[in-house]
Amino acid sequence: MSLLEVRNVSKSFGSLVAVRDVSLAVEPGELRAVIGPNGAGKTTFFNLISGLFAPSAGAIVFDGRDITKLVPHRRVALGMARTFQITEIFPELSIAENVRIGVEVASGFRLRPWLRRVENNAIKERMTEILTLTNLSGKANRIVGELSHGDQRAAEISMALTLKPRILLLDEPTAGMGDQETYEVTSLIRRLHREQGFTIVLIEHDMRVVFNLADRIMVLDQGAVLAQGTPPEIAANETVQAAYLGKAA
Amino acid sequence: MKLRPDLAAIWLVLLTAPFWLPLVHGYEALGTRVLVLGLAAMSLNFLLGFTGVLSFGHAAYFGLGAYGAGLTLKLLAPSTPLAIALGMLLGIAAGAMLGALIARRRGVYFAMVTIAFGQVFYFIAFRWNALTGGDDGLRGFSRQPIDFGFFKLDILNDLTAFYYFVLVCFAGALAIMAFLLRSPFGRTLLAIRENERRARFLGIPVEQHIWLSFVISCAFMSMAGTLYALLNNFADPKGLHYTQSGDFVIMAVLGGMRSFWGPLLGAAVFVVLQDYLSSVTTNWQSLIGLMFVVVVLFFPRGLLGFLLRKSQA
Amino acid sequence: MTQLILYNTFNGLIIGTFYVLMALGLSLILNLSGVINFAHGGFLAVGGYLAYTLSPYIGFWAALVVAPALTACIGIAIERTLIRRLYGRDPLYSLLLTFGLAFIFEDMTRAIWGAQGLPFTPPSFLTQPISLDYFFITYYRLFMMAVVGVVVLGLFLFLRHTRLGVRIRAGTLDLETVSALGVNVRALRTMNFAVGIFLAGLAGVLAGGNLSLEPTMGANVLMPSFVAIIVGGVGSLPGTLFGGLLIGVASGLTTVWFPSASEAVIYVIMAVVLLVRPRGLMGEEGVMS
Repeated sequence: MSLLEVRNVSKSFGSLVAVRDVSLAVEPGELRAVIGPNGAGKTTFFNLISGLFAPSAGAIVFDGRDITKLVPHRRVALGMARTFQITEIFPELSIAENVRIGVEVASGFRLRPWLRRVENNAIKERMTEILTLTNLSGKANRIVGELSHGDQRAAEISMALTLKPRILLLDEPTAGMGDQETYEVTSLIRRLHREQGFTIVLIEHDMRVVFNLADRIMVLDQGAVLAQGTPPEIAANETVQAAYLGKAA
Repeated sequence: MKLRPDLAAIWLVLLTAPFWLPLVHGYEALGTRVLVLGLAAMSLNFLLGFTGVLSFGHAAYFGLGAYGAGLTLKLLAPSTPLAIALGMLLGIAAGAMLGALIARRRGVYFAMVTIAFGQVFYFIAFRWNALTGGDDGLRGFSRQPIDFGFFKLDILNDLTAFYYFVLVCFAGALAIMAFLLRSPFGRTLLAIRENERRARFLGIPVEQHIWLSFVISCAFMSMAGTLYALLNNFADPKGLHYTQSGDFVIMAVLGGMRSFWGPLLGAAVFVVLQDYLSSVTTNWQSLIGLMFVVVVLFFPRGLLGFLLRKSQA
Repeated sequence: MTQLILYNTFNGLIIGTFYVLMALGLSLILNLSGVINFAHGGFLAVGGYLAYTLSPYIGFWAALVVAPALTACIGIAIERTLIRRLYGRDPLYSLLLTFGLAFIFEDMTRAIWGAQGLPFTPPSFLTQPISLDYFFITYYRLFMMAVVGVVVLGLFLFLRHTRLGVRIRAGTLDLETVSALGVNVRALRTMNFAVGIFLAGLAGVLAGGNLSLEPTMGANVLMPSFVAIIVGGVGSLPGTLFGGLLIGVASGLTTVWFPSASEAVIYVIMAVVLLVRPRGLMGEEGVMS
C-alpha cells in the first residue's frame, strides 16, 4: 500500500484553477520529485497535502487514512512533516531551542509545566541525535536568524525530523542557494533518504538536484500532470522539454 | 534569562524599598503602586512579549479584579484573601470566555476586538450605578487586616506592612509566570511568537495555546487589579478604559517586551514620569503622548533592549 | 409614544451618520495600511475647532470645506513624518503611535482653545426646526444628514471611477501587485490617509454645529466607529456604512425603553455578530484573520 495517495485532487480559487485533477502515489522509502515551470501549482499542491487549505475536489489518503479534512497540526501528528520555500524557523532562538521545541511537542510534552529528569535527558539525547544527523551539533547554540541560508535550511529540516515523520515534504529546499550550500543540502537529503530510509516528496527547480536524488519524478504544468516517470524517462520526454523551453523559467 | 547577581540586585532593591524611597523624595504608596502596575504590565507581557499576541483591551481584567475585590469587601465579607480570590475569579472567567471568542483572530483585527470588548466592561461599570458607583467609582470598602492566627498583619493602617504583602503576592505571581515560561509549555508560546506557521507545522494547536496564555495573563492581570483596589480602597472605572490598556502596553514596550523584568522597569519609569510631569505642567498629557511616539520610533526594544544591545556591542 | 420613538430614531440616525463618517475614514486607513488610527477622534476635534476659528473670517460655508481640508493637510504631515516609518513593522507600534498622538491632540486642543465647550453656530436659517410638532428635526440636522449622504455617495463614486480611487481599492486587495504595476505605493497611502482624515475633519465641523466643541468630542465617537467596522465587516466599506447606521439607530431606539443601556447595546450587537458571523455582516472570508 502506498504511504501517500493523492486522488484526483483539484483546487480552484474563484475562477482560477490552480491544481487540476492531480493524482500521486508515493511508496514507503521513495524519493519523489515534483517539478514544473513557475506557476505550475507545485506549492499549492503541497499546501493541499499538508492541509493549509482543503481541495475543491478529490481526496488525500495517508497511510490508509483519509486525511482530506484534517487540519495541519493533526496531519503533523500523523507523521507528515514539511519545510517551506521561505525557511520557516524561530529566528531569534538558537538551533538547540528550535529543535528542542519540536522534540518536546513530538514527545507529548506541549502542555507540560515541568519535566522529570528522565524526560529531560531523553529530550537532550534526541536533540543530539538529530543535530548529529544534520551536522549542526557544532552550531547548536548559535541564533538561527544569524546563520547562513544553508544552515537555516538544515535547521528547518532538523525541526521536521523531530516529529519522527513518516514522510517529509520539502518545498524548494535549495531555493536561493549557491553551489556550495546546494551541495550541502542535497547531501543531507540524500543521507536522509539512502541511510535513514525516509520517504520524501520534493519540489525543486534545480534539475541537477532532482536528477541526483529522485527515484521518480512528477511534472506539473498549469496545475495538471504533464508526465510521471523515472529520471531517464522524464529527461527523454519531449512534452516536458517543450513545457520548460516554452515558458520563461 | 538573567544571571543570578542581577536577580539578587533586583530583589534587594525591591525588599529595601520602604527604606530608600523617602531618600529620593518618594513615598511608600508609590513603591506599592509601581509593584502593582508592574505586575499588570508583566502579566500583559506574558501574552504580548512572550506569546506575541497583542491585546489592547487587557485593562478590562485589571478593572474586573479591582471591582471584584471591592465588591467582595463591601458586600460579602471583610476578608482580604477572599477579595483577592474573587476578584481574580471574575477576571479569569471573563478572560476565558472572551479569549475563546477571539482566539481565532489575529493581528490588527484581534486588537480591535479586544479594545471593543474591554469597553463593554467599562460601560457596565460606568452605568451600573447602584452596584459600581458609576463615574465616581466604587467606594465604601477598605483592605482588611489579615489574621494569620499567631499574628495579625495590619495592612490597613501600616503602609509598610501592605507594601510587603503586595511584594509577596508579586513574588508569587512572578514565580509562577517565570516557571511557566521556562517549561515546555512556555517554549510553545515562544514558538508561536517567533513563527506561528512553523509552530502549527510542528503540531502545536496554536489557538488552544494562545487561549491558555490569554487566560494565564488575565489571571495575573486581575490579581494586580485586586491589589490596586486594596491600595487605594477605591475602584475606578477608568481602570477599565482602553486608555489604561494603552498605558500597560507602553509600560511593557518602554521597559522591554522581550525581557521578563522589562515591564516592571517600564512601569516604574512611567509612574514616576507621570507623577512628576503632572506636578510641573498642565500639559503633561501631551508629554506622555510624546513619550509614546518617541518610544515607538526610537526605542522599540525598550530600555532594557537598548541597554542589552549596548552591552553586547 | 410615537413622538418619543420618532425623536429617538431620528437622533439615532443622526448619530449613526457620524459613526458612518468616522468609520469610513477609519476603514479606509485600516484597509490599505493596516493602521488603527486612534487619533481619528483627535482629527475630528481639530476639524471642528479649525472651523470655529476660521468661520468669522471666511463664513460657515467656506469653513465647511476649508477646515476639513486643513485637517487633512495636518494628517498628511503626520503620515509622512511619523506613521510612514511603521508600515512594515508589527501593528503594535502604529497602534501605540496613534494612541500617543490622540493624547497630544486632546491636550493641544485644550491648550489652544480651552477646556470649556465652545459654541459653533451655523447660519440661523438652518437652526430652525421644520415644524413645531417635530421640533427636533431642525434644518441643520437634515443638512448634516444630507452632507453625509452626499459625501458618502461621493466617496463611493471616487473609489469606483477616479484613478486614485481605483488604485486605493486595488491596493486594499493586493498591494504587491499594485506596486509591481508601477503605482507609487507611498503616495497612495498618503493620499488615502488624507481622504480618511478629511472625513474625520468634516465630521468635526458638522458635530460642532450640532453640539458644542470640546477637546474630548472625538473620543466618544471613536469606539462606536470601531464597532461599526467590526459589525459591518472588516474590509467592506458598504458594511461599514450599514454597520454605522445600524448601531446608531439601535442605540437611539434602545433609549426609548432602556435609556441606560443605549451605549451597551452597540457592544451587544457586536458580540452577537462576532458569535454568529465572525467576519461581520458584509465582511469577506479570510480578511484580516
